[in-house]
Amino acid sequence: MTPTTVPADSAAWDALIEPDRVHGSLYTDPAIFDAEMERIWYRTWVYVGHESEVPQPNDYVVKSIGPQPIIMSRDKQGEIHLLLNRCTHRANLVCDAAKGNSSAFRCPYHGWTFSNTGKLLGYPFNSGYGGTEEKRNLGLGRVARVASYQGFVFGSFAEEGPTLEEHLGGATDAFDRLVELSPTGKLDISAGWLQHEAKANWKMLVENETDGYHPQFVHASIFSVAKSGIGDLYGEKSTAVSRDLGGGHTENDLRPEFRRIDEPMGWFGTTADRLPEYVEHLQAARGPERAREIMIDGAPHVMVYPNLFIAEIQLFVIQPLAVDRTVQHVTAIQYEGEPQLNRRMLQQTIGSVGPAGLLLADDTEMYERNQRGVHARTPEWLVLKRGTHRERRDGDGFTIGDATDEVPQRAIWRHYRELMEAGDGDGAVAPPAVPTANGSVR
Amino acid sequence: MSERRERSLPLGEAAAGDTPVELVSEFAAVSLVVDRDGNGPRLRIEDLKTGQVGFLDPLELETLAWLPEGALHRFLDPSFHRWREERERG
Amino acid sequence: MSATAATATAAAELLREVEQFLYREARLADEHEYDAWEALWADEAIYWVPANGDDIDPTRQMSVIFDNRSRISTRIKQLHTGKRHAQTPPSALRRLITNVELLDPDPEHPDDVAVGSNFLVYESRERGVTLWAGRYEHRLTRTPEGELRIAYKKVRIVGNDRPLHTLAFLI
Repeated sequence: MTPTTVPADSAAWDALIEPDRVHGSLYTDPAIFDAEMERIWYRTWVYVGHESEVPQPNDYVVKSIGPQPIIMSRDKQGEIHLLLNRCTHRANLVCDAAKGNSSAFRCPYHGWTFSNTGKLLGYPFNSGYGGTEEKRNLGLGRVARVASYQGFVFGSFAEEGPTLEEHLGGATDAFDRLVELSPTGKLDISAGWLQHEAKANWKMLVENETDGYHPQFVHASIFSVAKSGIGDLYGEKSTAVSRDLGGGHTENDLRPEFRRIDEPMGWFGTTADRLPEYVEHLQAARGPERAREIMIDGAPHVMVYPNLFIAEIQLFVIQPLAVDRTVQHVTAIQYEGEPQLNRRMLQQTIGSVGPAGLLLADDTEMYERNQRGVHARTPEWLVLKRGTHRERRDGDGFTIGDATDEVPQRAIWRHYRELMEAGDGDGAVAPPAVPTANGSVR
Repeated sequence: MSERRERSLPLGEAAAGDTPVELVSEFAAVSLVVDRDGNGPRLRIEDLKTGQVGFLDPLELETLAWLPEGALHRFLDPSFHRWREERERG
Repeated sequence: MSATAATATAAAELLREVEQFLYREARLADEHEYDAWEALWADEAIYWVPANGDDIDPTRQMSVIFDNRSRISTRIKQLHTGKRHAQTPPSALRRLITNVELLDPDPEHPDDVAVGSNFLVYESRERGVTLWAGRYEHRLTRTPEGELRIAYKKVRIVGNDRPLHTLAFLI
């Protein structure tokens, strides 16, 4: 693809993004990538980490927002902070370890010391700096806004903008459903993360997460040898739906199939009698009737734009590093106090995901092949037309399509264009339109 | 001396307290052990990077347990004591 | 021959046998001889590639691979489908195995042979060239006929706490 410049107006964006096709240069142009960082990654809410990753006062973990190095810390009062892992003196990384417990961070370069809330506590030989006034302005950089929903911590570099709940909009339901599966209502994200690097543009990954068209082809090998029923969930006859949740958030909703099959824990490829402890705990917490519904419906398959993919029993976090380089972080979701279920979820996750995963190695192969292909001179466009003729509204007013339709991909690009067209501006982005129950959009 | 200690303390407790514990983070590495050379026990803290040793008695430790948030901040300032300029110009 | 000399000769012969076994396993993996590679495994086995350090608890922490014997078999069957895209076409591979050293036996399996070795794998595919370095720890058991089989293989990849590219060949 010929390098382009970033479009300056709506007409120029028309040349790159149409409702049902997008231009290949959007995956290859470094100028576009830089603009995406400013307009999407350093402005909207981006997922950073889970509260259970810093369970104790003064715990911290090293995280990221795209290429930005972030420290997620919990202070002594229990409040969570997102700080830039960059000494304010000479820009050295302050924290090296992936995690730890410390009320203060001391930079290894010249000993500057910061509290875990970002405040500069001091530097060696302070008379070399005159008065103390300067100290107040030399705290660690901060992610301007920090908020969490159901334990999931997000950060936004924009001082102002929609609240996290406004940003999540229709996707809040995914978090609610996920924690309802845990008898205590809490998740335990403590199994550690695999980091899987792809020589591909980050948007390839985002689009694939809720692409119901690919599993039968990309994953045919494992579905056939493991005698998995997952392929059928995404078949032509499937009653599952693809959904545009607004705000770039998208879903493959498999509940219609699970309800048709009517097998508690069928969503997890097992039966309730194989997990007696979990079933007992869930019934005690939610009541037998509701517990049964929860165990039929299972966990969500939702891509929360731009970087958190809740994939039933796993969390994926997408980290763009360059226009053709992306790291996918992945861990097994664990429910607080459920060792029996957790062990199975961990083993299933290890088998499926990461560099050697029976599923994800093949997805990643596709991302990298796409990235090679998208450099071809002609045709210049990628096609997102599937199911345009059968788009419809569900009872909540969300646009849905058949399981294999490209409703999610069109929704992702529509939102992308809104964010990119809004320009660099002052960071104020309107909250996504939320459909109302009667199907209209506010 | 050590015999007397064994009589006055349950054996398990004495053994545990006399075993040095190393606490290491990416910022510091210290070794902790209960020191019984004095008339009462105290905590001996050794900075494993420099060999510097300090002691904290039970009252000092109790005080630490009651410290309000941020009370250690001035001690964590590298210039407070350890890396203080000798030629302070006031 | 003195008893000491006899022991030394037996140890040298065992080392030689184990080295030949490791080289054979490496060649079969490099050349994608999947069935022959799988046949080197014992009936009960663990194939483990840890992540985020070498001494994690694989029942509580994420690993790159933590296969029991049944999952090893699934992995091989998937490769045989011809639709394991991450190995279609298969990676071009050659690996070197060095520093082969007999280790103290695992107390729980005193009759098995514990052996450590270093490896360097050169992988070439459409993505580019990837070098994989690390250490193997094998526990080898004997069939009733006296042949060596892999009961346990741990692969300590250098840099397993950092991002890794797709690793779909048999490492």
